[in-house]
Amino acid sequence: MSEAKSMSPQSQAAQTLAFNMKLLAQHEMEGFGGMGEGINMQVAKDGRRIIWMAHESAPKNFTALDVSDPRKPKFVIQTDLPHGNVRSNSLDVVGNTMVVAYQTKGFDNKPAGIDIFDITVPEKPKLISHFDASGKFSRGVHAVWFDDGEFVHMASGAPDFEPTNDKDDQFYRIIDVRNPSKPVEAGRWWMPGTRKGDKAAPPPRLKIDGGYRAHNTNVYSKQRPDRAYVGYIDGGGFILDIKDKSNIKVVSRWKNAPPFNGFVHTVMPLFSKNLLIVTEECVRDNCIDWPKLTWVLNAEDETNPVPISTVPLPSPESFGKRGGRFGSHNLWENYSADCAWRSDNIILATFFNGGLRAYDLSNPYQPQEVAYFVPGTPRLSPKGAVQINDVYVDDRGVVYCQDRFTGGLYIVEWTQ
Amino acid sequence: MEAPVLGRSALSGRIPVSIVTGFLGSGKTTLVNKLLKRPDMNRVAVIVNELGEQAIDNDLVEVSSEQMMLLNNGCLCCVLRGDLQETLRDLFVKRRNGEIIDFDRVVIETTGLADPAPVMQTLMTDTMLQAQYRLDCVVTLVDAVNGLEQIKTLSEPVKQAALADRLVITKTDLSDEPKISAVEAALRQLNQRAPIRRAVNGEIELAFLIDVALRSTQSRLEDVERWMGADNEHDHGHYGHDEHGHAHRHDTTVTSFCLRYKEPFTWASFSQCMEVLATLRGPDLFRVKGLVNVTGHKGPLIVQGVQHLFHPPIELEKWPSENHETRIVFITRGISEQMVSNLFTAIASVAARAA
Repeated sequence: MSEAKSMSPQSQAAQTLAFNMKLLAQHEMEGFGGMGEGINMQVAKDGRRIIWMAHESAPKNFTALDVSDPRKPKFVIQTDLPHGNVRSNSLDVVGNTMVVAYQTKGFDNKPAGIDIFDITVPEKPKLISHFDASGKFSRGVHAVWFDDGEFVHMASGAPDFEPTNDKDDQFYRIIDVRNPSKPVEAGRWWMPGTRKGDKAAPPPRLKIDGGYRAHNTNVYSKQRPDRAYVGYIDGGGFILDIKDKSNIKVVSRWKNAPPFNGFVHTVMPLFSKNLLIVTEECVRDNCIDWPKLTWVLNAEDETNPVPISTVPLPSPESFGKRGGRFGSHNLWENYSADCAWRSDNIILATFFNGGLRAYDLSNPYQPQEVAYFVPGTPRLSPKGAVQINDVYVDDRGVVYCQDRFTGGLYIVEWTQ
Repeated sequence: MEAPVLGRSALSGRIPVSIVTGFLGSGKTTLVNKLLKRPDMNRVAVIVNELGEQAIDNDLVEVSSEQMMLLNNGCLCCVLRGDLQETLRDLFVKRRNGEIIDFDRVVIETTGLADPAPVMQTLMTDTMLQAQYRLDCVVTLVDAVNGLEQIKTLSEPVKQAALADRLVITKTDLSDEPKISAVEAALRQLNQRAPIRRAVNGEIELAFLIDVALRSTQSRLEDVERWMGADNEHDHGHYGHDEHGHAHRHDTTVTSFCLRYKEPFTWASFSQCMEVLATLRGPDLFRVKGLVNVTGHKGPLIVQGVQHLFHPPIELEKWPSENHETRIVFITRGISEQMVSNLFTAIASVAARAA
């Protein structure tokens, strides 16, 4: 027998790994398969299910696919950004209205803000208005949350906001879009000390400095219209009282860095279980910023969330050097639309080269991994391994996840 | 539309395991080595006792450790060292870490003297294995040349045949038709329900060794029938050493029968019956497979046991047909249908009074 040798990391990343899930289809987005963290579904007037996705970076803005038959996704439309120094990255859809984020590479550039589109005819998105968030110290909008058709919650800079540190430029803003052709700011909150002129001292920088700024700004208007669940990167996770949008107050802050490496990305409540799921985004390749975990917090007392477990991840020894990032990122956020699936028991999360993973939280002290899907390295991937970025689950139970660079969209179903 | 309940299915969410057993010289290694090369073995992990050089020759793609080899057809061949429990655990961990192929099923070759019951029980008792794997099928190989004599004189081959979901008569090319028919008849008496296949030169298709147990909680009637074996009202058979005038030990008659009940059980009374049987006659309760109608459940509960151990029941989403009768197949040694039926009646009547 030939002498023992180990498989190369390349060969490991090349193979698809699946457990309790199987691939129905992949769509490479006509060669622009680098997808961001905006993915949402529309049921068009004619009944078609259209999935809308923001691209990770220029040149493409967003792409729509008809996924009525999840085994045969059909291309609907793909749009371009005005120039190479802007990215959309994030979008949300309510009914036939879509909000798209724009973030520029540096300060003082345009477009930096949000676009509001009428997507009644998916083939012809019609721009209703643009909300400008550009400014001398603003890169615009990184992430949007829009689930009630009335207010957009977002991580954004502003023309009148000068941060104490360049990395702290995006804060929590609420935009009233009840008149979509005239969006206006309804409220804002930033972590004290991050704006010039604040009484509070600027926060201390972490060893790996991700910045003190907002990322995901989730508001579940059906369950808790008076609460925003905000990932504030190195600032940790915040629960904010937004009952009075013009006077936002902190309910609680959960912070685990240091000793952890910050970059709190999403804070998602599981209301019936009084839990919060908190992710820290991995932002460095090759596990330099490991560990980047997905935490389970007991939030029975919302003023004092307490961590009780993290979801089990495969070892960094196996995935850390496969290429690109390995660690937590986005969650399926139990989006409130009728065409979305929701659960307080099963969570789905993305882990870059660790793929898409699903966990059962029946016992929140011991989350169990119940399924995963890790596509083999997508064609032409610059990282040598897949980088699963975001996930959507529709009410048929079909799961959609996307690669950050070239793989586009993977449509997956649970094995039944 | 009601939103689908996503999560892990108690059946489809586990990796199926086929166990290939058979007495010494029954041709397991030959069969497994030939199986390794079949194209349909892609994404199958095979645990073998040893690996003949000729089995892999030029088919080796890579070696991931001293014990694991990936063959050209996508089959992962794993040599058993130490115990099976550890090997199965290790396989799952390596699969999850992406260190080996993400195999979809496991085939285990047992050692020649092995009693398959403990191997089957391992899948039920080890908490990690129970969470990740499920027993799909027990395949017993019987040698057409020496099999008959072995069945008549030894207890291991009898148990191996009685426990089987599938029976394969091997070395038919070295035997003649009357002998093969005699082996077939003996097997049929030991195990009425398992399909029998004749193999020449150890050639057998993968399909005969897999997809026997229920794969999904949405199983259909044909799946249930395949798992429980031929559904014949008069399939009452037995075979024992006593009847053939061999050593007069205590009653060693191997019997199989199917009990049917129209009235639903309460879980308390059904599990009580099983507990009494398992406690008093565990070693003789070779195998139990059943579809049980339990009050308060929408679908039937799938019950399976090997000797004194029972798998936690799994509820099917709905009954696979209009027939909502409880049916339980027993394969026993020296426990008659009458004894089991009396026990069920007695417990049911006591339980009814309690209610």
